[in-house]
Amino acid sequence: MVKISVLQHAPSTHLPARPGDPTPTSRNLDPLMHPFARARERTRALNAVKMERIFAKPFIAALEGHVDAVETMARKPGTLNVVASGSWDGGMIVHDISLRRHILRVDEAHKGKISGVCFADEDRLLTCGVDRNVKLWDTREVDENGAGPSDVRKPLNVFPGKSAFNSIDHHRTDPIFATASNIVQIWDETKSAPISNLSFPTSIETISAIKFNLSESSVLASIGSDRTFTLYDIRTGKAERRIVMQMRSNALSWSPTFPTTILLASEDHNLYTFDIRSLKTPSQIYKAHVAAVMSCDWSPTGHQFVSGGWDRTVRIWQEGRGTAPEVYHTKRMQRVTSTLFTSDAKYVLSGSDDGNIRIWKARAHEKLGILDSRERAAIEYRESLKQKWKTDAQVNKISRTRHIPKPVHKAGQLKRTMLEAQRVKEERRRKHTRAGESKPTAEKRKVVIAEQS
Amino acid sequence: MARAQKPKQSRRPQAKSLKQNNLRGFAKRQSLKSQRSSKYSESSDVYEYQPENVRRSKVKLQLEKDELDGARRDISGSEDEDDGPKRNGLRPRLVGENDDEGGLGSDEDEEIDSDEAFDESDEERFAGFNFSTKTKSVAKRKPQKRSLQSQNASASEGEDSAADDEEEGDPEDFIDVLDMIDGKGPAESADEGEHTQKEERPSASKARVEGDDVPHLEDEDEDMHDEEDEGISSDESEEDESHISPMDDAISASGDEDDDVGTSLHDLQSFITNLDAGQKRKAPDDEAAPTTETGEARRQKRRMLKERTEAGEENEFAPHRGATKLNLDDLLNPLASSSSNLLSLKKSAKILTSISAKNQTLSAPLPQRTQERLDREAAYQQTKEEVDKWSATMKKIKEAEHLSFPLQAQPAGRTSNLELAAKFKPTTELESAVDRLLKSAKMREEDIAQTESLKMNHLSVEEVSARRAELAKMRELMFRAEAKAKRVAKIKSKTYRRIKKKEKAKIAAKLGEGSDDEDMNEETRMKHEVERARERATLKHKNTGKWAKAMRARGDLDEDQRRDISEMLSRGEKLRRRIQGIGSGDESEEGEDDTEDDEEGAADRIKASAFEELAQLDKGSEGEEDSGRKGKSIFEMKFMKDAIARDQQRAKQMADDFVREMGESNHEDDEDDELTGGRIEESSGATIERVGGRVTYRPGAQQSQLRTVNSLASDTSSITLRSNDLPSDVARSVTPSATSPIPEKLGIATEAPNPWLAPRQDPAKAVPKKHEIAVSKDSASVEKSKNKLRKKAQKHEEEQSKARNDAAVDISMSNVMTLGDNSSAGPSKPKTRSQSGNQRDDGDDDSDVHSEVEEQERLLDRKGKGKANGVKAFEQRDLVARAFAGDNVVRDFAEAKRREMQEDAPKEVDTTLPGWGSWGGTGTRKAQPKPHLIKKVAGVDPTTRADYKKAHVIISEKRDKKAAKYMVKDLPYPYTSKAQFERSMDIPIGTEWNTRVGFQRGTLPKIVTKPGTVINPLEKLL
Repeated sequence: MVKISVLQHAPSTHLPARPGDPTPTSRNLDPLMHPFARARERTRALNAVKMERIFAKPFIAALEGHVDAVETMARKPGTLNVVASGSWDGGMIVHDISLRRHILRVDEAHKGKISGVCFADEDRLLTCGVDRNVKLWDTREVDENGAGPSDVRKPLNVFPGKSAFNSIDHHRTDPIFATASNIVQIWDETKSAPISNLSFPTSIETISAIKFNLSESSVLASIGSDRTFTLYDIRTGKAERRIVMQMRSNALSWSPTFPTTILLASEDHNLYTFDIRSLKTPSQIYKAHVAAVMSCDWSPTGHQFVSGGWDRTVRIWQEGRGTAPEVYHTKRMQRVTSTLFTSDAKYVLSGSDDGNIRIWKARAHEKLGILDSRERAAIEYRESLKQKWKTDAQVNKISRTRHIPKPVHKAGQLKRTMLEAQRVKEERRRKHTRAGESKPTAEKRKVVIAEQS
Repeated sequence: MARAQKPKQSRRPQAKSLKQNNLRGFAKRQSLKSQRSSKYSESSDVYEYQPENVRRSKVKLQLEKDELDGARRDISGSEDEDDGPKRNGLRPRLVGENDDEGGLGSDEDEEIDSDEAFDESDEERFAGFNFSTKTKSVAKRKPQKRSLQSQNASASEGEDSAADDEEEGDPEDFIDVLDMIDGKGPAESADEGEHTQKEERPSASKARVEGDDVPHLEDEDEDMHDEEDEGISSDESEEDESHISPMDDAISASGDEDDDVGTSLHDLQSFITNLDAGQKRKAPDDEAAPTTETGEARRQKRRMLKERTEAGEENEFAPHRGATKLNLDDLLNPLASSSSNLLSLKKSAKILTSISAKNQTLSAPLPQRTQERLDREAAYQQTKEEVDKWSATMKKIKEAEHLSFPLQAQPAGRTSNLELAAKFKPTTELESAVDRLLKSAKMREEDIAQTESLKMNHLSVEEVSARRAELAKMRELMFRAEAKAKRVAKIKSKTYRRIKKKEKAKIAAKLGEGSDDEDMNEETRMKHEVERARERATLKHKNTGKWAKAMRARGDLDEDQRRDISEMLSRGEKLRRRIQGIGSGDESEEGEDDTEDDEEGAADRIKASAFEELAQLDKGSEGEEDSGRKGKSIFEMKFMKDAIARDQQRAKQMADDFVREMGESNHEDDEDDELTGGRIEESSGATIERVGGRVTYRPGAQQSQLRTVNSLASDTSSITLRSNDLPSDVARSVTPSATSPIPEKLGIATEAPNPWLAPRQDPAKAVPKKHEIAVSKDSASVEKSKNKLRKKAQKHEEEQSKARNDAAVDISMSNVMTLGDNSSAGPSKPKTRSQSGNQRDDGDDDSDVHSEVEEQERLLDRKGKGKANGVKAFEQRDLVARAFAGDNVVRDFAEAKRREMQEDAPKEVDTTLPGWGSWGGTGTRKAQPKPHLIKKVAGVDPTTRADYKKAHVIISEKRDKKAAKYMVKDLPYPYTSKAQFERSMDIPIGTEWNTRVGFQRGTLPKIVTKPGTVINPLEKLL
C-alpha cells in the first residue's frame, strides 16, 4: 500500500459549523498589521462608485393608455401596485403597475381634462375635472352592476360644482374631500353640496392644487394662481395664513414623516420646503431643474422626494440636500406633468405630456429581486464605502457625473450664466451704493414676498 | 373726513327714527327696570352705586352735551330712552358681553362725540338688527360688525336700510342739525357702535324718569339694575361730553381714528371728568324727579313720541299694554324662555363691567376685517400648537442614525410560556402520547395542583397555616439573603474587599487551628507555598513595591507601619536566604544595603548568591571527597578519581575565573557608584586570565547568571540607557549575546569616527587571537606541573564544548573592545568634543543627538578614569580614524539641509537684462534695478519649515503631486476639525479589519426599507 501524503484541511477551521453561520475568520484584527487598509478601501470605494454608475439603469417600464398628457396621478393608500391617473383627454385609468395592466379604464370620465384624482376609502375613486363635476367611481374590476373593466362605467356619484375644479384631495380618515376651484370647498361624500367653503378673504385667485396634511389630517394647504400658498384648518374652518411668493407654485406635497413640512414645486425652477410653523422663509431650496417644476411627491419615508419638470426630466432629491439630485430622462419622455412615489419607496412614476406613465427605480443602481445575506452585506458595504469616501475627489467626481440631454445641459448652462450675471450686477450695484446701504439678502429671504394672516 | 361726511349726514335722521321705532318697547321696559333698580339700590345696596358713580364720572361728557343741546337733548333723551332699554333687554341673551361693554367704554364715547353726525346710519341698522334678531347674541354682534365694515367701504348698505326708515325718521332731522351745529364731525367706523350706545344711555335715564309712573318691580334681576346704572352714567357722560365736544372737534378734525389722538383726548377728558365728578354724580337723581313733568311736556310737543310707542308695539319684547305702563310679566316673559345660566352669566358680566369701567375703557369692536384677521391669527396659532406636538417625534426621526420603515409598524409581540402552555393541545402522535402518559401519572399541571390540595386536606388549619408561615419565612429569608448578596456583590470599594478578605482569612485560620494538624499539613503547606510564590511574584518582600515606595516617601511612620516595613524586610531577607541556600551575616548586611539601593542591590544580591553557590560547591566537593572514600564503587577506581579530580580542578578554575571577574566588575561598580558591596578583593587588569601558566578564555559557564545581569539592565533602560550601562556590562560580560547587539546600536547612534565601531573590524583579528594565545610562554613559569593536566582538560573541554567556542570568540572580542575603550578614553575625549563643537557651529542645536554623544563622552571619561591603556587605545582610534577618513557624514548632512532650506527660501530674482533699457558707454552709472523687474519668489520661510530646529532630518516642503490626489482640499462638512476627519478616515469598515458584528454595525444603512412593504405616513397613536 502506497502512502499518499495529501494537503489536509480541517473543515471545522474554515467552514461554518452550520449553514447560515458566519464563516470563522482567522485574521489578525490589529490595525498595525494592516498598513494598507486605507488604500484598499479607497480602491474599493472607487470600484463601488464605478459599479454604481455602470448599473444605474432606472427605467423599468412605460404604462400606456392615455391619449393625451397625464395630468394627475394618485396611488391607492395601503397598496403597492394600484395607481390611478387622469389625462387631459378626460380619460381615467386605474393601473396595476406590477402587472402593468389596467384595472379600470374610463375614456370619457370627464369632459375636458381631468384635473384631479384621488382615492376615497377602499375601492372608490374620486375624480374632478374642468367640466365642474366631481365623480365618484368604483374601481373594482367587476362592480356591483356586473360591469367589467371594459364596459362603460357609470360613476357612483356626481358632485356638481359651480366652477371648474383644479384639484381634489381626500381626507385621510374621514369621508371628506376637498376640492380647489376659485375657492376651496369641503365636501362630504354623502352630500351633494359642499359642506363648507374656505377662502382667504380679499383673494380672487384660482386655487390650483390642494392637499390634506397626512398626519395632522385636518390641516389643508393650497396653492393659487396669485403666487400664493395658503394654509387652512377644517377644525377652525378658516384660511389661516397665506404667503405670497416670487413665482407661483405648480404642485405641493406634505411630508409623510415630518408633518410640519410641505414641499412646493415652483414655477421658478426650484422646489421649496416650508415648515408651516414659520412660513417666512423656506427651510430648504432645491435647485437643479432648468425649467418650471410641474409636480412633486414625497417618498413615503420622507427622506426623498421626486419632482417632474417642464425640462423633461424627473429628479429625485434627498431631503435637506438642495443640489445634485438624481436625474432621470429618456428620449421620448416629454414634459413631466405628474410624478408619484410608490408606497414602498422603491419606485417612482412619472406621467408626461406624451401620455405615458413611466416606472422608474427610485435608486437607479439598485438590484431588484431577492438578495441573499452576503450580497446584501456586500451592497451595504459598498454603500457605506461610497458614503465614507465621497470626500475623495475621484470618487466624488464619478458619483456626481451625469449625462443629461443636450437641451437640458444647455439650458442649465444658460441658466447658470444668467444667474451669474444677475449676481454680478447685484454685486456691482451694491458696490456703487453707499456703504452699508444695501446688504445682500439671503436667498431664502427672497422667496417669500409677504406673509399674510 | 370731508368725503365721508356727506352721506353720513344724510343718513342720520333715518337712523334715528328707526332706532326710535325699534326700541321703544325696550325703552319702556328699561324705564321700569331702572326705576325699580334705582329704588332698590338707594334703599339697600350702597355698593351698587359706587361703580356707577365712577363710571358716570367718566362718561359724563355725553350727558353734558345733551344738556347743552337744550331742546335737542330732550328729544335725544327720549330717543335714547327707546334705545337704551331695548338694548339692555337684549343683553342678558348675549353670550359674549363684549359688545355691550365696548359700548360702555367712555373713552371711545368721547371720541365719538365729535363725530356724532356720522353714526346714525349705523345706529339705525344696529337698532334694526336688534329689533329683528330677538334672541341671539351672535345675531346682534353681526350687524354691529357689518356696520363697522360699512364705514370703510359701503355707504350703500346703510342707505338701503335708511330708506325704509325715512318716513319715521323725520323728527330726528332736527337733532342732526343740532349736532351739526355742535360741530360734530363725521364719525369713524369704529365709533359708530359706541355712538349708538351713547345714544341709548340717556334713554335709560329717561326710562327711569318714566318709571316713576310705574309700580316698582322688586323682583327684577340685579342685572337690570345694573343696566339702569349704566343708563344713569350715560346720562352724565353726555353732559360731560358737551363740555368737551368743542375741543374734541378741534382735535379730532384731523382724524379720530389715530390712537394717539384718542389717547390724548382720553387723558384730557378723564382729567376734566374728574374735575366735574362731584357735581355730576348728583345730576341724574336731580333730574329724575323734575324731568318727569317737563320731559313729558317736551315729548308731547313732538309727534314722534307717539310714533315711537307705535314702533314699540310691534316689538315682541315690548308688549304694549298702556301708553307708559309696563308689567313685570312683560319683562319676565322673554327672560323666562332664556336659561337660568344666562342670568348667572349676566351676573358675572355685571362685575366685569363694573370693574372694567372703573379701571379702563374698553375698545370698540374691531372692524370686521381686522377681527377676522385676528381670528385667523388665533386659528393659525392653534394649528401651530397642534402641529408642534409632532416636534419631538420629528426631532427623533431627524437625529436617528438608523431608521427602519415603516416607522410605526407594530412590533411582533412575544408569546409567553404560560400563553403557549394554555393554548397547547397535543396534535402529533408523540405529543398525545406524552400527554397520555402525564395524564396517567397524574403529572399534569392541574393534577399536581389537585394532589397538593388533597394532601392539604387532612391537615388541620393551624398546621397548614404554620407550614405556610414557615414557607413564607424561608422564602423571605432567601430573598433577603439573595438581595443582600447582590448588594454586596455590587460594592466596588477595594478597602471593603480587603477587609472582607481578611475577615474570611481569619475565620479560615480559626477553623484551621481547630482542625488537627496532620490533616491540614499537606494542605497548609501547599497554601503556604502558593502564598510564598505570590509573595515573590508581587515583590512583597522587596522594598521596590508600590507600598514600600510609598512608605519610604512618607518619611515619618507610626508604630504599625514601621513594624510592617520591618516585617517586609525580614521576609525579603528570609526569602533571599532561601534563594541562596543559607543565611549568613554578610548576606544580611548586604540585604540592608539593598534596601538603600535597589538596582545595584539586585545585581549584587545575585552576584553574592552566585558566590555563595560557589562556596557551597567547594564545600560540597570536599564533602563529596570525604564521602567518596567510604563508598566502594566505580568512582573509587583510580582513573575515575583522576577524572573527578580533574573535573574538580576545572570547576575550581572556573570558579576562580568567575570570582576574579566578578571582583573586577565589582571594583568598577565601586568606582561608578561608590558602593561598598564588593567583598572580593582580587582585581585584575584584564579578563584575559592566566591560569596555571596559560592564558585561557573561558566560555560562559556562568552564562545564565550573567545574562540575568544584562537582562536586568536592559529591562529597565531604553536603548540609549543601555549604552549607558554598557561599560560595566561589557567589562563584566562573558556572554556574547549580551555584548554583540550593543555595539551595533551604538554604531547607529554615534557619530562618524566612532570608537564603538571598532569591534566590527576586530572580530576577524580577535578570533584567531584567542586560539593563538591558547598557551603562552609566559605561563610556563607559573605552574608547569599542572600544565599538562590542564592541557588535557582543555582538550577534553574543547571536544565537549565545540559549540561554545564560537561564543568564546565573542567573549574575546568584547575583551579586546573593553581594552580599547579603556585606552582610548583619554585621547578620544577632546576629539569628540571638537566634533560636537563643529556641529554646534553648523547651527544644529538638536539636543536629541547631542545628548547621546555627550552621554558617550561622559562614559568615556569615566572609563578613562578607571583604566588607561593608552597605547592600545590610541592605536584603536587611529585605526578608526583612518578607516573613516573624510567621512564627514554630519557635516555633509547639515550642508545638504542648509542647501535645501536656501533653495526653498523666499527670494527676489533680478530679471534685468543687462544692456536693455539702460544707457551704455563710458561714464554711465549702473542703474538701480527696477522694481518691476524684480521677481519675488514666495518660498518657504526657514522658520516655518516642518524640519525647523530638527537637525537630523530634512523634511521636504515640495508638494507631492501623487499624494495630492488623495488629499482633501477643505475639511468636509460635518467635521469640525482635521483630527476628527482623519480619525473617521482611519478606521476601515471592511470585514478584514473588523469583527463581524462591527462590520454589520458599520455598514448598516441609514434608511432601511423592505421591498413590498407599504409605508404609511405617520399617524397619531392613541
